[in-house]
Amino acid sequence: MKTIKTFLLMLFIAFSNLAFAANPSVPQEGGKQYAEVIKGNDTLMVNPMNKNLYGGPEVEAIKNWGIHSPNAVGWGNIFTILQGNYFSTIFAIIVILVPLAFLTHFMVVGQKKFEHGKKIRVFSNYNIIVHWCAAVPFVVLCLTGLVMIFGDKLGGGSFVRFARDVHGIATILFVIFGVLMFLMWIKHALFRAYDIQWLMIMGGYLSKEKKPVPAGKFNAGQKMWFWVCTVGGFIMAISGAYMYFQFADIETLRMMALLHNVLGFLVIALLITHIYMAVFAIEGALNSIIDGHMGEEEIAILHSYYYKEINAA
Amino acid sequence: MSNTTNILDNFSRIKFYCDTNRCIECHGCDVACKEAHHLPVGVNRRRVVVLNEGQVGKESAVSIACMHCSDAPCAQVCPVDCFYIRADGIVLHDKKTCIGCAYCLYACPFGAPQFPKNGVFESRGSMDKCTFCAGGPEETNSKEEYELYGQNRIAEGKVPMCASMCSTKALLAGSSEEVANIITHRATMRGENIPNAVPNVWKTAYGN
Repeated sequence: MKTIKTFLLMLFIAFSNLAFAANPSVPQEGGKQYAEVIKGNDTLMVNPMNKNLYGGPEVEAIKNWGIHSPNAVGWGNIFTILQGNYFSTIFAIIVILVPLAFLTHFMVVGQKKFEHGKKIRVFSNYNIIVHWCAAVPFVVLCLTGLVMIFGDKLGGGSFVRFARDVHGIATILFVIFGVLMFLMWIKHALFRAYDIQWLMIMGGYLSKEKKPVPAGKFNAGQKMWFWVCTVGGFIMAISGAYMYFQFADIETLRMMALLHNVLGFLVIALLITHIYMAVFAIEGALNSIIDGHMGEEEIAILHSYYYKEINAA
Repeated sequence: MSNTTNILDNFSRIKFYCDTNRCIECHGCDVACKEAHHLPVGVNRRRVVVLNEGQVGKESAVSIACMHCSDAPCAQVCPVDCFYIRADGIVLHDKKTCIGCAYCLYACPFGAPQFPKNGVFESRGSMDKCTFCAGGPEETNSKEEYELYGQNRIAEGKVPMCASMCSTKALLAGSSEEVANIITHRATMRGENIPNAVPNVWKTAYGN
């Protein structure tokens, strides 16, 4: 729930600023024209003839030319500091530390093993196709995104440019199947009261005990991932489109770039988590999204409420 | 040695300065730049911005291009590190390394980076910006350098095209010291308070 709130807040910040792209009031000091610049600045921003001319920010920066003038405002400085010093480091920490944490988990707690005697069909063929058609472009998006982030280590040029083009093409595929996936699983992904219990025991992943875990068809972790990858992915696609087509004023573009990067942290961290959970944490869990069948014991323990639902029907 | 470095830092860096008391919005600079470098449609390395248009006594125009900042925000944010800064302070970039991500545009307070759009999907090519008429990383005055970055007038010992074409000599280009001397002189002749006329905080793009 907290993640959704954070998203909405970020989205709100991103779009509320559309209205306040130009600089508000700046105290008039010294030079005669500097304070008057503000008005000219607003005019430039709203003049339809100038929509392709990034007038505002330059004019704001001109104020820095004079003595006693206030510093240039806007998101450019914040973007420069964050992108210049922190973003690639944070991404590096995520792609190194998250897998390391799971490697530790794998070695300390180990895999969960269940009997695979009786199997129950949990996913339809439609579920499986849509999942993979969204998953493959999603992984491609994350990988090509990382190629761009660490472009300086890879030398830039044609390879990184190719990654950027693939990033754009994969987005189209992801958006189509992301929407289908959203509609397909939204009912099962709504949060319920027992999800809090799941979060409190960390989904039972910290112990080897086989005790029924409070979860429906999807557990709280899967639900969080669902919202991040569909709604978050949609916001990623929108902010990416803004950056690609540049159809907004410079301040909005800057905020879209910030949003794209910050969401990127979350998306990549959770993608690694999702892959670990499906492939390594539970033995044979990956099969459920390949052939649609899940072992009865696995459902009874890891999705206890869903198990009751099936038995009741 | 350190003294020399200090002098280099403070005075020998090249600078553009547009004297708003003189700029008459003739667009001579941007036309000259486009023509000299054979820039494609939609790419404007230099632009003239008018403030308070039509308001008598308040209207002023200013010519904007890459300001070749010493803290160059574009170079800081580039994910592929395609920027390099010459000893004289000219900020240049390698178009063959650039991936056209536009992060430099988001970082730049002057809107200097330009992105030519081409193809059906409006895909953006490599970034293009003012080079202070100093070409790029390719061999000086080679055909390739001309095609990618335009004329290299600095190598020929000339000032940038825009400043040389400015009919009112509003647009100044040169070392910080030379430019500061000219505008201080002009301000003194006008009887203005000198510190207000001397741009002593135009070293960096953001803050001071």
